[in-house]
Amino acid sequence: MKNHYLFQFIHFIMIATFGLLFLPSCGNQAGQTNTGGALGDDVASQVYVAPGEYDEFYAFMSGGFSGQIGVHGLPSGRLLKVIPVFSTDGEKGYGFSEETKPMLNTSHGFVPWDDAHHPELSQTNGETDGRWIFINGNNTPRIARIDLSVFETVEIIEIPNSGGNHSSPFTTENTEYVVAGTRFGVPYPQKDVAINTYAENFKGMLTYVKVEEDGAMDVAFQILLPAFDYDLAHSGKGNSHGWTFFTTYNTEEKSTLLEVAASQNDKDFIAAVNWKKAEEYIAQGKYQEVPAKYAHNVYDEKTHMATSTMKDKVKVLIPSECPGLVYFLPTPKSPHGVDVDPTGEYIVGNGKLSADLTVHSFTKMKAAIDNQSFETEIAGVPVLKFEEVVAGSVKDAGLGPLHTEFDDKGNAYTSFFITSEVVKWKVGTWEVLDKASTFYSVGHIMIPGGDSKKPQGKYLVALNKITKDRYLPTGPELCHSAQLYDISGDKMKLLLDFPTAGEPHYAQGISADRIVPNVKKFYPIEENEHPYRALGEKDARVERNGNEVHVYMTTIRSHFAPDNIEGIKVGDKVYFHVTNLEQDWDVPHGFAVMGANNAELLIMGGQTETFLWEPKSVGVIPFYCTDFCSALHQEMQGYIRVSPRSSNIALKWGLGEEEVVQ
Amino acid sequence: MKKNLPRILMIIAVLGLGTLFLFPMWKITLIAPQYPKGVTMHIHINKLGGETPAVIQNINILNHYVGMKYIEEDSIPELKYFPYVVMAMMAMGLLMAAVDKPKLYLGWAILLSLLAMAGLYDFYLWEYDYGHSLSPTAPIKIPGASFQPPLFGSKQIISFTAISLPHIGGYFAGSSILLAGLAWWQKSKLDKNETTDSTSDNSHISSERLHTVA
Amino acid sequence: MKKNIFYILSLAIALFSMACTPNPETANSSATADSSEPVKGQSTVQDDLSAKNILQVALGSPDHTTLVAAVQAADLEDVLVNAGPLTVFAPTNAAFEALPAGTVESLLKPENKATLSKIIKFHASPGKYEGNLLKNGQRLFQASGHYVNVEKDGDKVTVHGANILGTAQASNGVVHIVDKVMLPPEG
Repeated sequence: MKNHYLFQFIHFIMIATFGLLFLPSCGNQAGQTNTGGALGDDVASQVYVAPGEYDEFYAFMSGGFSGQIGVHGLPSGRLLKVIPVFSTDGEKGYGFSEETKPMLNTSHGFVPWDDAHHPELSQTNGETDGRWIFINGNNTPRIARIDLSVFETVEIIEIPNSGGNHSSPFTTENTEYVVAGTRFGVPYPQKDVAINTYAENFKGMLTYVKVEEDGAMDVAFQILLPAFDYDLAHSGKGNSHGWTFFTTYNTEEKSTLLEVAASQNDKDFIAAVNWKKAEEYIAQGKYQEVPAKYAHNVYDEKTHMATSTMKDKVKVLIPSECPGLVYFLPTPKSPHGVDVDPTGEYIVGNGKLSADLTVHSFTKMKAAIDNQSFETEIAGVPVLKFEEVVAGSVKDAGLGPLHTEFDDKGNAYTSFFITSEVVKWKVGTWEVLDKASTFYSVGHIMIPGGDSKKPQGKYLVALNKITKDRYLPTGPELCHSAQLYDISGDKMKLLLDFPTAGEPHYAQGISADRIVPNVKKFYPIEENEHPYRALGEKDARVERNGNEVHVYMTTIRSHFAPDNIEGIKVGDKVYFHVTNLEQDWDVPHGFAVMGANNAELLIMGGQTETFLWEPKSVGVIPFYCTDFCSALHQEMQGYIRVSPRSSNIALKWGLGEEEVVQ
Repeated sequence: MKKNLPRILMIIAVLGLGTLFLFPMWKITLIAPQYPKGVTMHIHINKLGGETPAVIQNINILNHYVGMKYIEEDSIPELKYFPYVVMAMMAMGLLMAAVDKPKLYLGWAILLSLLAMAGLYDFYLWEYDYGHSLSPTAPIKIPGASFQPPLFGSKQIISFTAISLPHIGGYFAGSSILLAGLAWWQKSKLDKNETTDSTSDNSHISSERLHTVA
Repeated sequence: MKKNIFYILSLAIALFSMACTPNPETANSSATADSSEPVKGQSTVQDDLSAKNILQVALGSPDHTTLVAAVQAADLEDVLVNAGPLTVFAPTNAAFEALPAGTVESLLKPENKATLSKIIKFHASPGKYEGNLLKNGQRLFQASGHYVNVEKDGDKVTVHGANILGTAQASNGVVHIVDKVMLPPEG
């Protein structure tokens, strides 16, 4: 251990000397105001958002294995909302209410959870426009669309012929499409085969999902490729608009112990897809229409109900029959993220097992295609020559590069997992400009607009996988974290640490002014088209149809109508259709019934939501409002009398002293 | 031109009164911590409203805690017959512009002022009624408290600040009184000049010119 | 304890002087690049209960004090505690002593930090390679960007000419003790 202390001493001398070198500059600048240097600045004031003030940016953090999206404000890091997307959420009744259950329907039936990785804002002319945010479901392949006027999930489409939708959703410049790519090769079509027949029976599918003007999604076409693992994607912009780039690993096409087996090839590929060409082939009818079962779930803001439709076929393009559709760009060492710079010229492959970043040039790629500079061909896909497409590389920047984002000044920022740092480098010269440590093991990074044509710059958020000692301990399971850096100057400056919901993978940021003007305060009740709505207390009633009972209930501060119900029998299926009559900002009402095998309802103003309750024993059961709505919230409660199946107690309901009897 | 000025003023006064059918005549704003920008209720000549469609409902929700009556259009008969009073005044105003006599202008202005005062008194009575006729079963009872909003200006009512002020229609209707008064003053002046001026033909010609121009 | 004092002192001096400087040029030293934060990362996490990571394994070995000093001089402690998985070929003190006289002293100098860092990274592979996963004729990709060849003859395993003397498990990978310092090809 002697050497250890000796080393400490050397290190001490080294750092101290380094510091002393700068001492003379103190004297020179004694008369000047100290404005520079991290220590001279008040970091706290840069992230302080005074009570009642708004943050400058929204940050949408994927929830990872929580299946949701966390909405934070920047620079404060304050958590504003968790939007339920792929997982049921008892807090909001999402996936529990009759209206939202269909949102989680799939070809495998009701799937109450997923792993949500990459939020992606809609874009217009390559700029984030604040209309929607999309996110992929990784486990049971899906893409969801969240409407940013209400911050609710309004559409989920399942991706057929895939297994693990990781390289998704990554929009095109005008949100023409969001994309999907299978992270697992799977038999095509799915069948009962030996796993070790991977190379011959398994395929990899890329998917383009068309997004209409109103946001409606539909699977436009799929592209059948070898069973590589399609890892991440980004679409081109500017000159490269019309193309999408997908990274691959496991080009070895192995099915077991991938941590070794999939790391053997020196180079894997970036698949470059010409989707405008694909549109031509589709128009020419050069596709195979194949059977495929996948769910399409849409939430209607007027009826406040989701419907699930099962689709049964999909158009598939085969590269060998569609020349010019796909090219492979060799890229070293299992590239993870693929990121296109704001000009659309440079395609960055983050080779995660490498120390270097490989940057391809779109212009060179086009020239190589024109000159037919092909190394070989795999399954009808030409492999371009590496030297013909590479523009340069960022050398020795760190270990384990994963993802790159861009600022508005021609700089790129890359996360390095193994060395836990963010490295800033110059696009075009590939020169490393700055490094900043992260705590610890950074995955994705995010700059508002950082993957669009017009990055908004100012801040960078590092999304860390490991926190260890950074926060008060909470047992074996610790929070994941985000770290905020100021990137407005030459040097990155760490400003803030804050925990996130679930595990953040990718994130998106957008200036608040692109969203706030469109945000709704409540749903106009006159637009409510729910079939079981009650638009006023005069409409409140109870109807029986066999053993099905429909309660048309209303809420307003501070009572339910009706709040006393009799004539319910054991074995009934009781549907409470609760309409919140409030037309005021921030007055949701909750609804919960003792013993219900369900979550609560949380009903926004003007909305109708339905709660199914199947009483199993006789008694008088209380229900109440769960959201502290008003001074008399605690009084907002009621009773349901449950009688034996054989009972002849008449259906009866009321509010106050005047009881209506049917 | 000058000869027709009183008429024109009177017609503008009538149009000003007509704005009561387009804009609210009065507004009451309630400001509270949970409503930092306030909830503003609008009183029209023929209906109740607010900055957003739900304002009356939201004010009623707040009011019901202290047992105030629901504010409902149907319970206020004035909203039914006031429009006719205003229409009658407008018709009368036009008639008076046609007859073009100073005393008629003055009479109209005085009548409108009296009606406005009666209207304000009626408004006060309603405010008193809403503020004092509280339900005996109110969830929140504050002994001795009244919740009557101010007739004009600002007043603190428990945790709320209530501000009562005329709105666009109210201002226009108020200026109608002034315009009718102005018409009376101008017409009286003209008539006085006419009696002292022998060249009344000139004014006749100028009025003809005005017609050709128009 | 001693370690802490050294760091506080050195940091204090370095930071004191930087505070006077509008734009400290710190990018050339990753140790001080992020001046608003402690210079050390995950390797400073206090945790005596968890299974030992590669750095802790090395720190605990009396035969690897030179390697540890080198890792610290190259500022690679945080890499060796990373989630990994990593395979580290750990030359013994004797292996370092076998280098030409003065080599180690020279490498530990701050101006040779880049060279030292490259050499250390040449001793680490992303992934956990042990037992049957090390095959005769296999090429391993090293963190330095180079490949090394594996030769296997029965139980005897040689990597880039260095013999594996023993293997220690770590929470974030595996440490193969080797009898030679492996030097990467030039460039």
